[in-house]
Amino acid sequence: MLDVWVLGADMTRIGRRDESLQDLMAEAAHGALRAAGLEAPDALVVATMNPEEFVGDGNFASNVGTYLGLAGTPAIRVETATSSGAAAFYAGFAQVAAGLRRTVLVVGGEKMTHLDTPRVSELIGRSIDPYERSYGATMPALAGLVTRVLMARHGVGPREIAQVAVKNHANALDNPYAHFRRAVTVEEVLESRMVADPLRLLHCCPISDGAAAVVLTAERAAVRVAGVGQGSDTLALRHRDDLTGFAATRAAARAAFAMAGFGPERVEVAEIHDAFAPFELISLEDLGLVPPGKAGHATLDGETARDGRLPVNPSGGLKARGHPLAATGLAQIVECVWQLTGRAGPRQVDARVALAHSIGGLATNNWVTILEGA
Amino acid sequence: MIETIAGSRCPRCEAVVAPPERFCPRHPVEMTPVELPGAGEIVSFTTLYSPPAGFRSPLHIALVELEGGARFVCHGAETRGLRIGSRVAIEAVDDVYYFSHLGAIDRARLFWRRAGRAGDRAQAIVRSLTKRVWKGTQRGSS
Repeated sequence: MLDVWVLGADMTRIGRRDESLQDLMAEAAHGALRAAGLEAPDALVVATMNPEEFVGDGNFASNVGTYLGLAGTPAIRVETATSSGAAAFYAGFAQVAAGLRRTVLVVGGEKMTHLDTPRVSELIGRSIDPYERSYGATMPALAGLVTRVLMARHGVGPREIAQVAVKNHANALDNPYAHFRRAVTVEEVLESRMVADPLRLLHCCPISDGAAAVVLTAERAAVRVAGVGQGSDTLALRHRDDLTGFAATRAAARAAFAMAGFGPERVEVAEIHDAFAPFELISLEDLGLVPPGKAGHATLDGETARDGRLPVNPSGGLKARGHPLAATGLAQIVECVWQLTGRAGPRQVDARVALAHSIGGLATNNWVTILEGA
Repeated sequence: MIETIAGSRCPRCEAVVAPPERFCPRHPVEMTPVELPGAGEIVSFTTLYSPPAGFRSPLHIALVELEGGARFVCHGAETRGLRIGSRVAIEAVDDVYYFSHLGAIDRARLFWRRAGRAGDRAQAIVRSLTKRVWKGTQRGSS
Protein backbone atom coordinates (compact mmCIF):
# COMPACT_ATOMS: atom_id res chain seq x y z
CA MET A 1 0.00 0.00 0.00
CA LEU A 2 1.37 3.42 -1.00
CA ASP A 3 1.42 6.37 1.39
CA VAL A 4 -1.39 8.80 0.58
CA TRP A 5 -1.09 12.55 1.17
CA VAL A 6 -3.51 15.48 1.16
CA LEU A 7 -2.19 17.95 -1.41
CA GLY A 8 -5.01 20.50 -1.25
CA ALA A 9 -8.20 21.19 0.71
CA ASP A 10 -10.98 23.74 0.54
CA MET A 11 -14.63 24.26 1.42
CA THR A 12 -17.43 26.75 1.00
CA ARG A 13 -18.97 28.82 3.73
CA ILE A 14 -21.69 26.61 5.21
CA GLY A 15 -25.20 27.98 5.72
CA ARG A 16 -28.20 29.10 3.75
CA ARG A 17 -26.77 29.53 0.24
CA ASP A 18 -28.45 30.81 -2.92
CA GLU A 19 -26.04 29.06 -5.32
CA SER A 20 -26.88 25.74 -6.98
CA LEU A 21 -25.43 22.48 -5.61
CA GLN A 22 -23.16 22.33 -8.66
CA ASP A 23 -21.85 25.85 -8.02
CA LEU A 24 -21.18 25.06 -4.35
CA MET A 25 -19.30 21.90 -5.31
CA ALA A 26 -17.35 23.80 -7.96
CA GLU A 27 -16.33 26.44 -5.42
CA ALA A 28 -14.91 23.76 -3.09
CA ALA A 29 -13.43 21.55 -5.84
CA HIS A 30 -11.71 24.34 -7.77
CA GLY A 31 -10.46 25.77 -4.46
CA ALA A 32 -8.90 22.42 -3.51
CA LEU A 33 -7.31 22.04 -6.95
CA ARG A 34 -5.86 25.58 -6.69
CA ALA A 35 -4.52 24.80 -3.21
CA ALA A 36 -2.94 21.63 -4.66
CA GLY A 37 -1.46 23.53 -7.61
CA LEU A 38 -3.18 21.08 -9.95
CA GLU A 39 -5.37 21.83 -12.96
CA ALA A 40 -7.01 18.41 -13.30
CA PRO A 41 -6.84 15.17 -11.24
CA ASP A 42 -6.53 11.60 -12.60
CA ALA A 43 -9.92 10.71 -11.11
CA LEU A 44 -12.92 12.26 -9.36
CA VAL A 45 -14.99 10.94 -6.44
CA VAL A 46 -18.30 12.71 -5.74
CA ALA A 47 -20.33 12.50 -2.52
CA THR A 48 -23.97 13.57 -2.32
CA MET A 49 -26.54 11.88 -0.12
CA ASN A 50 -29.70 12.43 -2.11
CA PRO A 51 -29.42 14.89 -5.04
CA GLU A 52 -32.22 13.01 -6.81
CA GLU A 53 -34.73 14.32 -4.28
CA PHE A 54 -33.04 17.41 -2.83
CA VAL A 55 -32.33 19.05 -6.21
CA GLY A 56 -33.84 16.66 -8.77
CA ASP A 57 -30.59 15.57 -10.47
CA GLY A 58 -29.23 12.05 -10.92
CA ASN A 59 -26.17 10.45 -12.53
CA PHE A 60 -24.42 12.84 -10.26
CA ALA A 61 -20.75 11.88 -10.72
CA SER A 62 -21.06 12.75 -14.42
CA ASN A 63 -23.27 15.75 -13.67
CA VAL A 64 -20.69 17.32 -11.35
CA GLY A 65 -17.69 16.09 -13.36
CA THR A 66 -18.98 17.81 -16.48
CA TYR A 67 -19.95 20.97 -14.58
CA LEU A 68 -16.45 21.21 -13.07
CA GLY A 69 -14.88 20.96 -16.52
CA LEU A 70 -13.64 17.42 -15.90
CA ALA A 71 -15.89 15.58 -18.36
CA GLY A 72 -13.04 13.34 -19.50
CA THR A 73 -12.00 12.39 -15.97
CA PRO A 74 -13.18 9.01 -14.57
CA ALA A 75 -15.77 9.80 -11.87
CA ILE A 76 -17.74 7.76 -9.35
CA ARG A 77 -20.31 8.72 -6.72
CA VAL A 78 -20.22 7.31 -3.20
CA GLU A 79 -23.11 7.26 -0.73
CA THR A 80 -23.35 6.09 2.90
CA ALA A 81 -26.10 8.47 4.07
CA THR A 82 -24.80 11.30 6.30
CA SER A 83 -21.23 9.97 6.24
CA SER A 84 -21.00 10.00 2.43
CA GLY A 85 -18.19 12.58 2.44
CA ALA A 86 -15.98 10.38 4.62
CA ALA A 87 -16.82 7.34 2.47
CA ALA A 88 -15.86 9.26 -0.66
CA PHE A 89 -12.57 10.21 0.99
CA TYR A 90 -11.94 6.48 1.55
CA ALA A 91 -12.78 5.68 -2.09
CA GLY A 92 -10.24 8.27 -3.23
CA PHE A 93 -7.69 7.15 -0.64
CA ALA A 94 -8.03 3.51 -1.75
CA GLN A 95 -7.43 4.38 -5.42
CA VAL A 96 -4.22 6.24 -4.59
CA ALA A 97 -3.01 3.70 -2.00
CA ALA A 98 -3.52 0.89 -4.52
CA GLY A 99 -1.48 2.74 -7.12
CA LEU A 100 -4.45 2.94 -9.51
CA ARG A 101 -4.35 6.78 -9.67
CA ARG A 102 -1.66 9.35 -8.84
CA THR A 103 -4.12 12.15 -7.93
CA VAL A 104 -7.80 12.02 -6.97
CA LEU A 105 -10.16 14.95 -6.35
CA VAL A 106 -12.82 14.13 -3.74
CA VAL A 107 -15.74 16.56 -3.48
CA GLY A 108 -18.90 16.36 -1.38
CA GLY A 109 -21.88 18.68 -1.12
CA GLU A 110 -25.55 19.02 -0.34
CA LYS A 111 -28.19 21.66 -0.99
CA MET A 112 -31.20 21.52 1.36
CA THR A 113 -32.34 24.92 2.62
CA HIS A 114 -34.58 25.63 -0.38
CA LEU A 115 -36.99 22.94 0.94
CA ASP A 116 -39.18 23.30 4.05
CA THR A 117 -38.11 21.55 7.27
CA PRO A 118 -40.73 18.73 7.23
CA ARG A 119 -39.67 17.81 3.68
CA VAL A 120 -35.96 17.84 4.62
CA SER A 121 -36.69 15.65 7.67
CA GLU A 122 -38.64 13.26 5.46
CA LEU A 123 -35.77 13.00 2.94
CA ILE A 124 -33.12 12.49 5.64
CA GLY A 125 -35.49 9.99 7.29
CA ARG A 126 -35.32 7.77 4.22
CA SER A 127 -32.09 6.43 5.74
CA ILE A 128 -34.05 4.98 8.71
CA ASP A 129 -35.32 1.38 8.90
CA PRO A 130 -38.73 1.32 7.11
CA TYR A 131 -40.60 -0.33 10.01
CA GLU A 132 -39.32 2.24 12.52
CA ARG A 133 -40.14 4.98 10.02
CA SER A 134 -43.71 3.64 9.78
CA TYR A 135 -44.05 4.51 13.50
CA GLY A 136 -43.06 8.11 12.84
CA ALA A 137 -39.40 7.66 13.77
CA THR A 138 -37.22 10.51 12.49
CA MET A 139 -33.50 11.04 13.09
CA PRO A 140 -34.27 13.26 16.14
CA ALA A 141 -36.69 10.57 17.42
CA LEU A 142 -34.06 7.82 17.29
CA ALA A 143 -31.46 10.20 18.73
CA GLY A 144 -33.96 11.01 21.51
CA LEU A 145 -34.28 7.29 22.35
CA VAL A 146 -30.49 6.97 22.47
CA THR A 147 -30.12 10.13 24.58
CA ARG A 148 -32.60 8.96 27.22
CA VAL A 149 -30.62 5.73 27.65
CA LEU A 150 -27.38 7.72 27.83
CA MET A 151 -28.82 10.04 30.50
CA ALA A 152 -29.87 7.07 32.65
CA ARG A 153 -26.15 6.47 33.06
CA HIS A 154 -24.16 8.15 35.80
CA GLY A 155 -22.21 11.19 34.66
CA VAL A 156 -24.36 12.42 31.78
CA GLY A 157 -27.04 14.94 32.63
CA PRO A 158 -28.65 17.95 30.93
CA ARG A 159 -25.73 20.27 31.77
CA GLU A 160 -23.07 17.95 30.35
CA ILE A 161 -25.02 17.61 27.10
CA ALA A 162 -25.81 21.33 26.89
CA GLN A 163 -22.12 22.17 27.37
CA VAL A 164 -21.31 20.40 24.08
CA ALA A 165 -23.53 22.85 22.21
CA VAL A 166 -22.19 25.82 24.20
CA LYS A 167 -18.56 24.86 23.43
CA ASN A 168 -19.14 24.21 19.74
CA HIS A 169 -21.07 27.45 19.24
CA ALA A 170 -18.23 29.31 20.99
CA ASN A 171 -15.68 27.68 18.64
CA ALA A 172 -17.69 28.66 15.56
CA LEU A 173 -17.44 32.36 16.51
CA ASP A 174 -13.90 32.19 15.04
CA ASN A 175 -14.85 30.18 11.94
CA PRO A 176 -15.79 32.29 8.89
CA TYR A 177 -17.05 29.09 7.20
CA ALA A 178 -19.58 28.31 9.97
CA HIS A 179 -23.38 28.37 9.61
CA PHE A 180 -23.91 29.88 13.09
CA ARG A 181 -21.49 32.47 14.44
CA ARG A 182 -23.47 33.08 17.59
CA ALA A 183 -22.73 32.05 21.18
CA VAL A 184 -25.36 30.16 23.19
CA THR A 185 -25.56 29.70 26.97
CA VAL A 186 -26.35 26.55 28.92
CA GLU A 187 -29.64 28.17 29.97
CA GLU A 188 -30.61 28.92 26.37
CA VAL A 189 -29.95 25.30 25.42
CA LEU A 190 -31.93 23.96 28.40
CA GLU A 191 -34.85 26.29 27.69
CA SER A 192 -34.97 25.78 23.91
CA ARG A 193 -37.99 24.09 22.35
CA MET A 194 -38.39 20.35 22.99
CA VAL A 195 -37.98 18.43 19.71
CA ALA A 196 -37.73 14.74 20.66
CA ASP A 197 -37.82 14.49 24.45
CA PRO A 198 -35.18 14.76 25.99
CA LEU A 199 -33.60 16.40 22.90
CA ARG A 200 -34.16 20.12 22.46
CA LEU A 201 -33.74 22.37 19.45
CA LEU A 202 -30.31 23.66 20.51
CA HIS A 203 -29.06 20.07 20.87
CA CYS A 204 -29.61 19.55 17.13
CA CYS A 205 -27.54 20.58 14.12
CA PRO A 206 -29.10 22.93 11.55
CA ILE A 207 -30.18 22.27 7.96
CA SER A 208 -27.34 23.66 5.82
CA ASP A 209 -26.02 24.04 2.28
CA GLY A 210 -22.35 23.69 1.44
CA ALA A 211 -19.51 21.70 -0.09
CA ALA A 212 -15.97 20.59 0.74
CA ALA A 213 -13.15 19.01 -1.26
CA VAL A 214 -9.66 17.54 -0.97
CA VAL A 215 -7.01 16.46 -3.46
CA LEU A 216 -5.22 13.21 -2.60
CA THR A 217 -1.87 12.23 -4.06
CA ALA A 218 0.84 9.60 -3.86
CA GLU A 219 3.50 12.37 -3.84
CA ARG A 220 4.77 13.56 -0.46
CA ALA A 221 2.84 16.59 0.81
CA ALA A 222 2.22 18.41 4.12
CA VAL A 223 -0.42 16.03 5.54
CA ARG A 224 -0.33 12.22 5.43
CA VAL A 225 -3.40 9.98 5.70
CA ALA A 226 -2.32 7.79 8.62
CA GLY A 227 -5.42 5.61 8.79
CA VAL A 228 -8.99 5.21 7.56
CA GLY A 229 -11.50 2.85 9.16
CA GLN A 230 -15.12 1.94 8.54
CA GLY A 231 -17.63 0.30 10.87
CA SER A 232 -21.21 -0.73 10.28
CA ASP A 233 -24.22 -1.79 12.33
CA THR A 234 -27.87 -2.80 11.91
CA LEU A 235 -30.16 -0.41 10.04
CA ALA A 236 -32.82 -0.82 12.75
CA LEU A 237 -32.14 0.65 16.19
CA ARG A 238 -34.30 -2.12 17.74
CA HIS A 239 -31.85 -4.76 16.48
CA ARG A 240 -29.10 -3.43 18.76
CA ASP A 241 -28.50 -4.42 22.38
CA ASP A 242 -26.44 -1.43 23.52
CA LEU A 243 -27.59 2.14 22.99
CA THR A 244 -24.98 3.88 25.17
CA GLY A 245 -22.39 3.57 22.41
CA PHE A 246 -22.16 3.01 18.67
CA ALA A 247 -20.57 -0.29 17.59
CA ALA A 248 -19.99 1.20 14.12
CA THR A 249 -17.78 3.93 15.60
CA ARG A 250 -15.83 1.46 17.72
CA ALA A 251 -15.16 -0.78 14.73
CA ALA A 252 -14.15 2.19 12.56
CA ALA A 253 -11.77 3.45 15.26
CA ARG A 254 -10.19 0.00 15.71
CA ALA A 255 -9.57 -0.26 11.96
CA ALA A 256 -8.23 3.29 11.59
CA PHE A 257 -5.85 3.05 14.57
CA ALA A 258 -4.67 -0.39 13.41
CA MET A 259 -3.79 1.11 10.02
CA ALA A 260 -2.11 4.10 11.68
CA GLY A 261 -0.04 1.89 13.97
CA PHE A 262 -0.76 4.02 17.05
CA GLY A 263 -3.63 4.60 19.46
CA PRO A 264 -6.00 7.42 20.49
CA GLU A 265 -3.39 8.84 22.92
CA ARG A 266 -1.59 10.41 19.93
CA VAL A 267 -4.66 12.36 18.76
CA GLU A 268 -4.33 16.08 19.51
CA VAL A 269 -7.41 17.53 17.80
CA ALA A 270 -10.67 15.88 16.72
CA GLU A 271 -13.67 16.74 14.57
CA ILE A 272 -16.57 14.63 15.87
CA HIS A 273 -20.04 13.99 14.42
CA ASP A 274 -22.24 16.01 16.81
CA ALA A 275 -25.44 16.03 14.71
CA PHE A 276 -27.03 15.81 18.17
CA ALA A 277 -25.00 17.18 21.10
CA PRO A 278 -25.09 13.93 23.14
CA PHE A 279 -23.46 12.13 20.18
CA GLU A 280 -20.22 14.01 20.90
CA LEU A 281 -20.16 12.51 24.41
CA ILE A 282 -20.96 9.01 23.12
CA SER A 283 -18.36 9.28 20.36
CA LEU A 284 -15.55 10.59 22.60
CA GLU A 285 -15.80 7.31 24.51
CA ASP A 286 -16.37 5.09 21.45
CA LEU A 287 -13.21 6.55 19.89
CA GLY A 288 -11.18 5.94 23.06
CA LEU A 289 -10.37 9.66 23.37
CA VAL A 290 -11.68 9.72 26.96
CA PRO A 291 -12.15 6.76 29.34
CA PRO A 292 -15.60 5.09 29.47
CA GLY A 293 -18.08 7.11 31.52
CA LYS A 294 -15.89 10.23 31.60
CA ALA A 295 -17.06 12.21 28.54
CA GLY A 296 -19.55 14.31 30.52
CA HIS A 297 -17.01 15.35 33.16
CA ALA A 298 -14.29 15.93 30.55
CA THR A 299 -16.63 18.28 28.66
CA LEU A 300 -17.76 20.21 31.75
CA ASP A 301 -14.12 20.49 32.91
CA GLY A 302 -13.10 22.09 29.59
CA GLU A 303 -10.85 19.22 28.50
CA THR A 304 -12.41 19.31 25.02
CA ALA A 305 -12.49 23.11 24.75
CA ARG A 306 -10.17 24.80 22.25
CA ASP A 307 -7.61 25.51 24.98
CA GLY A 308 -8.12 22.14 26.67
CA ARG A 309 -6.13 18.88 26.66
CA LEU A 310 -7.92 17.66 23.49
CA PRO A 311 -9.70 20.32 21.41
CA VAL A 312 -12.87 18.76 19.94
CA ASN A 313 -14.73 20.40 17.07
CA PRO A 314 -12.66 23.61 16.86
CA SER A 315 -14.64 24.33 13.66
CA GLY A 316 -17.89 24.44 15.63
CA GLY A 317 -18.85 20.89 14.66
CA LEU A 318 -22.04 19.90 12.90
CA LYS A 319 -23.86 21.81 15.63
CA ALA A 320 -22.55 25.27 14.68
CA ARG A 321 -20.43 24.93 11.52
CA GLY A 322 -23.49 23.19 10.04
CA HIS A 323 -24.33 19.83 8.47
CA PRO A 324 -24.69 19.81 4.67
CA LEU A 325 -24.89 15.96 4.78
CA ALA A 326 -22.40 14.61 2.21
CA ALA A 327 -20.18 17.69 2.58
CA THR A 328 -19.76 17.16 6.32
CA GLY A 329 -17.29 14.24 6.37
CA LEU A 330 -15.03 16.18 4.03
CA ALA A 331 -15.54 19.52 5.82
CA GLN A 332 -14.25 17.80 8.99
CA ILE A 333 -11.17 16.60 7.09
CA VAL A 334 -10.61 20.06 5.59
CA GLU A 335 -10.66 21.54 9.12
CA CYS A 336 -8.17 18.88 10.27
CA VAL A 337 -5.85 19.65 7.32
CA TRP A 338 -6.01 23.37 8.07
CA GLN A 339 -5.31 22.74 11.77
CA LEU A 340 -2.30 20.53 10.91
CA THR A 341 -0.85 23.06 8.47
CA GLY A 342 -1.32 26.18 10.62
CA ARG A 343 -4.05 27.62 8.41
CA ALA A 344 -6.93 27.70 10.93
CA GLY A 345 -6.58 31.41 11.75
CA PRO A 346 -7.92 32.53 15.14
CA ARG A 347 -9.15 29.01 15.97
CA GLN A 348 -5.70 27.43 15.42
CA VAL A 349 -4.68 24.73 17.90
CA ASP A 350 -1.30 23.06 18.33
CA ALA A 351 -1.58 19.55 16.86
CA ARG A 352 0.36 17.06 14.78
CA VAL A 353 -2.27 14.26 14.69
CA ALA A 354 -5.95 14.94 13.89
CA LEU A 355 -8.96 12.64 13.85
CA ALA A 356 -12.23 13.05 11.91
CA HIS A 357 -15.29 10.96 12.86
CA SER A 358 -18.39 10.71 10.69
CA ILE A 359 -21.72 8.96 11.42
CA GLY A 360 -23.89 7.62 8.58
CA GLY A 361 -27.62 7.23 9.30
CA LEU A 362 -28.29 6.46 12.96
CA ALA A 363 -24.73 5.11 13.32
CA THR A 364 -25.20 2.38 10.70
CA ASN A 365 -22.14 3.28 8.61
CA ASN A 366 -19.43 5.21 10.43
CA TRP A 367 -15.92 6.36 9.51
CA VAL A 368 -12.76 7.40 11.31
CA THR A 369 -9.99 9.18 9.42
CA ILE A 370 -6.63 9.92 11.03
CA LEU A 371 -4.33 12.57 9.56
CA GLU A 372 -0.75 13.35 10.47
CA GLY A 373 1.15 16.58 9.87
CA ALA A 374 4.58 16.19 8.29
CA MET B 1 -55.14 -10.18 28.04
CA ILE B 2 -51.61 -10.51 26.66
CA GLU B 3 -51.40 -10.41 22.88
CA THR B 4 -48.98 -12.38 20.78
CA ILE B 5 -46.45 -10.64 18.56
CA ALA B 6 -44.90 -12.33 15.55
CA GLY B 7 -41.11 -12.47 15.50
CA SER B 8 -38.29 -14.54 14.10
CA ARG B 9 -35.20 -16.28 15.48
CA CYS B 10 -31.77 -16.73 13.91
CA PRO B 11 -30.80 -20.42 13.85
CA ARG B 12 -27.13 -19.37 13.97
CA CYS B 13 -26.93 -16.77 16.79
CA GLU B 14 -30.36 -17.29 18.45
CA ALA B 15 -31.10 -13.56 18.14
CA VAL B 16 -34.84 -12.81 18.11
CA VAL B 17 -36.31 -9.86 16.21
CA ALA B 18 -39.83 -8.46 15.87
CA PRO B 19 -41.54 -8.04 13.53
CA PRO B 20 -40.13 -11.09 11.71
CA GLU B 21 -37.35 -10.64 9.16
CA ARG B 22 -36.52 -12.98 6.31
CA PHE B 23 -32.77 -12.98 7.09
CA CYS B 24 -30.93 -12.45 10.37
CA PRO B 25 -29.52 -8.87 10.39
CA ARG B 26 -26.14 -10.28 11.46
CA HIS B 27 -26.00 -13.61 9.59
CA PRO B 28 -26.91 -14.43 5.97
CA VAL B 29 -29.30 -17.21 7.01
CA GLU B 30 -33.11 -17.52 6.90
CA MET B 31 -34.84 -16.91 10.22
CA THR B 32 -37.41 -19.21 11.89
CA PRO B 33 -40.83 -17.78 12.86
CA VAL B 34 -41.53 -17.42 16.61
CA GLU B 35 -44.39 -16.02 18.69
CA LEU B 36 -43.60 -13.58 21.49
CA PRO B 37 -45.76 -12.38 24.39
CA GLY B 38 -46.88 -8.78 23.93
CA ALA B 39 -45.31 -7.60 27.18
CA GLY B 40 -41.93 -6.40 28.28
CA GLU B 41 -39.80 -3.61 29.73
CA ILE B 42 -39.29 -0.07 28.47
CA VAL B 43 -35.75 0.33 27.06
CA SER B 44 -36.30 3.96 26.08
CA PHE B 45 -39.00 6.35 24.95
CA THR B 46 -39.36 9.76 23.36
CA THR B 47 -42.05 12.26 22.48
CA LEU B 48 -41.97 14.07 19.15
CA TYR B 49 -43.42 17.56 19.06
CA SER B 50 -43.05 18.03 15.29
CA PRO B 51 -43.81 14.52 14.02
CA PRO B 52 -43.67 13.68 10.31
CA ALA B 53 -46.69 14.07 8.03
CA GLY B 54 -49.47 11.63 8.91
CA PHE B 55 -48.84 11.71 12.69
CA ARG B 56 -50.36 13.93 15.41
CA SER B 57 -48.29 15.86 17.95
CA PRO B 58 -47.32 14.88 20.58
CA LEU B 59 -46.23 11.50 19.21
CA HIS B 60 -44.99 9.01 21.83
CA ILE B 61 -42.59 6.33 20.59
CA ALA B 62 -41.17 3.59 22.81
CA LEU B 63 -38.55 0.90 22.45
CA VAL B 64 -39.67 -2.15 24.45
CA GLU B 65 -37.69 -5.29 25.23
CA LEU B 66 -40.23 -8.12 24.87
CA GLU B 67 -40.28 -11.14 27.17
CA GLY B 68 -38.92 -13.24 24.33
CA GLY B 69 -35.84 -11.04 23.95
CA ALA B 70 -36.66 -8.99 20.85
CA ARG B 71 -36.77 -5.22 21.02
CA PHE B 72 -39.94 -3.71 19.60
CA VAL B 73 -40.94 -0.20 18.50
CA CYS B 74 -44.45 0.95 19.34
CA HIS B 75 -46.63 3.96 20.12
CA GLY B 76 -48.25 4.95 23.42
CA ALA B 77 -51.11 7.16 24.52
CA GLU B 78 -48.96 8.91 27.13
CA THR B 79 -45.61 8.70 28.91
CA ARG B 80 -46.64 10.09 32.32
CA GLY B 81 -45.02 7.99 35.05
CA LEU B 82 -43.11 5.98 32.46
CA ARG B 83 -39.43 5.25 33.03
CA ILE B 84 -36.73 2.98 31.71
CA GLY B 85 -37.48 -0.48 33.09
CA SER B 86 -41.25 0.10 33.43
CA ARG B 87 -43.25 -3.04 32.64
CA VAL B 88 -45.71 -2.54 29.79
CA ALA B 89 -48.23 -4.54 27.80
CA ILE B 90 -48.42 -4.16 24.04
CA GLU B 91 -51.59 -4.41 22.04
CA ALA B 92 -52.51 -3.90 18.42
CA VAL B 93 -55.20 -1.46 17.31
CA ASP B 94 -55.79 -1.63 13.54
CA ASP B 95 -52.40 -3.30 13.06
CA VAL B 96 -50.57 -0.52 14.92
CA TYR B 97 -48.93 -1.53 18.23
CA TYR B 98 -49.36 0.51 21.41
CA PHE B 99 -47.81 0.09 24.84
CA SER B 100 -49.68 0.59 28.12
CA HIS B 101 -48.80 0.05 31.76
CA LEU B 102 -49.19 -3.61 32.57
CA GLY B 103 -52.14 -4.48 34.87
CA ALA B 104 -51.65 -6.67 37.97
CA ILE B 105 -53.68 -9.56 36.52
CA ASP B 106 -51.66 -9.53 33.30
CA ARG B 107 -48.41 -9.49 35.27
CA ALA B 108 -49.57 -12.46 37.35
CA ARG B 109 -50.60 -14.38 34.25
CA LEU B 110 -47.25 -13.69 32.61
CA PHE B 111 -45.26 -14.91 35.59
CA TRP B 112 -47.57 -17.92 35.91
CA ARG B 113 -46.80 -18.94 32.38
CA ARG B 114 -43.08 -18.37 32.69
CA ALA B 115 -42.20 -19.73 36.12
CA GLY B 116 -41.57 -23.45 36.55
CA ARG B 117 -42.65 -24.82 39.94
CA ALA B 118 -45.76 -23.76 41.84
CA GLY B 119 -43.65 -22.17 44.60
CA ASP B 120 -41.71 -20.13 42.06
CA ARG B 121 -44.95 -18.96 40.52
CA ALA B 122 -46.39 -17.73 43.80
CA GLN B 123 -43.11 -16.00 44.66
CA ALA B 124 -42.92 -14.39 41.24
CA ILE B 125 -46.43 -13.02 41.55
CA VAL B 126 -45.70 -11.59 44.99
CA ARG B 127 -42.43 -10.08 43.70
CA SER B 128 -44.25 -8.57 40.77
CA LEU B 129 -46.94 -7.00 42.93
CA THR B 130 -44.39 -5.74 45.47
CA LYS B 131 -42.32 -4.17 42.69
CA ARG B 132 -45.40 -2.47 41.35
CA VAL B 133 -46.40 -1.05 44.73
CA TRP B 134 -42.82 0.08 45.31
CA LYS B 135 -42.64 1.75 41.88
CA GLY B 136 -46.02 3.39 42.54
CA THR B 137 -44.69 4.80 45.80
CA GLN B 138 -41.59 6.12 44.04
CA ARG B 139 -43.70 7.81 41.42
CA GLY B 140 -45.86 9.44 44.07
CA SER B 141 -42.88 10.85 45.93
CA SER B 142 -40.80 12.06 42.96
